[in-house]
Amino acid sequence: MLPATAVFHFPWEVNSGSVQEGESVRTFGRLVCYQPEESKATLSAQYASKEHHVVVHTLFVEPFNPIIGAQYIVLGETENAEGVGVMVRARVLNCVDGVNIALLQKAINEQRSFFRERECKQGGAAQPADAI
Amino acid sequence: MQATTMDLAEEPPSMLWGLDPIFSAFARLYVRDILQMTESTQVPGIYFYNSHPVYKVDVLGTVVYKREREDFFCYGVDDGTGVINCLCWKKYLLKEEEDPGKSGGKHSDAAKGGFDPVAELKKLREGQKNRSCLEIGELLRIRGLVKTSRQQREIMASTYYKVNDPMMALQIAWMMEVPQLYRQCYDKPLQLQLNADSDTTISSLSKATNIIKDFFKQKSVSRFRPYDVQDLLQPLISSQPQTTSADQEPVASVSACQQLRQLLKETLELLQNEGIIYRKVKSQDEVYNVTAQDKDLLIAVKDIIREDSKREKYAEKGCHVLHILSAVKQRYSLNVSKAALELVLKSLECNSDIVSTTDNHYTVF
Repeated sequence: MLPATAVFHFPWEVNSGSVQEGESVRTFGRLVCYQPEESKATLSAQYASKEHHVVVHTLFVEPFNPIIGAQYIVLGETENAEGVGVMVRARVLNCVDGVNIALLQKAINEQRSFFRERECKQGGAAQPADAI
Repeated sequence: MQATTMDLAEEPPSMLWGLDPIFSAFARLYVRDILQMTESTQVPGIYFYNSHPVYKVDVLGTVVYKREREDFFCYGVDDGTGVINCLCWKKYLLKEEEDPGKSGGKHSDAAKGGFDPVAELKKLREGQKNRSCLEIGELLRIRGLVKTSRQQREIMASTYYKVNDPMMALQIAWMMEVPQLYRQCYDKPLQLQLNADSDTTISSLSKATNIIKDFFKQKSVSRFRPYDVQDLLQPLISSQPQTTSADQEPVASVSACQQLRQLLKETLELLQNEGIIYRKVKSQDEVYNVTAQDKDLLIAVKDIIREDSKREKYAEKGCHVLHILSAVKQRYSLNVSKAALELVLKSLECNSDIVSTTDNHYTVF
């Protein structure tokens, strides 16, 4: 009934293989390209002096108003598409232009370190299966 | 997770729940934790996070699922740690909406003054409706009761509204704040248990002081020696070893007599610190004076204030407490503490023997 939890992932993690296929993610990036005929959008983010791309399948969220160069946040399931690699099938695609990306990253890290800390405290008993 | 495996025995007794501040607050828990909290076996509808009793929560998250019924919306809210169903009633909105339509015609001529309450009300309702009807992808803030229906945890909204957060500022602030709340409140061990652990020692001490204070009052005791009151504390000791022997064996081996003497010593110390008793003369013979019953001390303090208030130095404001204290120590007894003096001053002031001019100055008229 309810969709799976879309956990925050950094754009550079989505493609790195740390996300399993079918997993729900939420990530962000600047819209650099939108191909309506293929329902394909590309988000991009810079990290460690490299440009990272996330390909988003936008069929479920169309029509939307694509603003090239704006920051977007996407919620959806990852899938492996041929020729593209990991693609996020978007359930939610929101324009959040003007967002303080540095602060957002800090908040995500803050949340992760909190969960890590807590799981450590609970000892080996907690299963790291749902580690964020 | 610990929360799911909490034993029945670990559940704090319901009598104490209200003492936990989290109980009466809308806890800003992660959805993941809301889903995993154990329900109380004593009172259904109450849940435990880290043995904190919780029944209402405050959540901010993205709507990822929506179902509309006649009376309510059912939103699936995802805060990045879990997804939970939120039951949001819309009854009052829809029903009342029909009324202004009927009565609107009658009142419309009242709009001459420029302020039309009916139109304003309509606007307000419109706004309310816009804020309560969300689409997938929008941000929802919800406060409400945690329920379990058909084995599914859900939140029954007491308030809910759409949050406009175009630049994620609120979401980021929330994400930064919640871990702090966890560290400072929710993950801290329950304060109640702390009290419960030290219950035997702390409360027997406070019971002992109360017993002795009552004794002073009833018998108008003005002076006593420790062995005069020792027997009063006996009932507290006899019940104590049973509770301590269960978990702390070394303590249990200490004889009851020693315990009694220890308790008496602590009690007298506490009473001395509070200024309720003091020793006029420190000698082998342990005699304590009861401050409130010590007529001589009262008179001495009154005299000091009366005399010194006449001096030019103190004429304007009266005598400072510390001046009175040093004078009492010189002229009456070296062992009068500030706490004891304050008690004396208070009782003198109650009888209008002296008057306070500031927080710390006293004079006599």
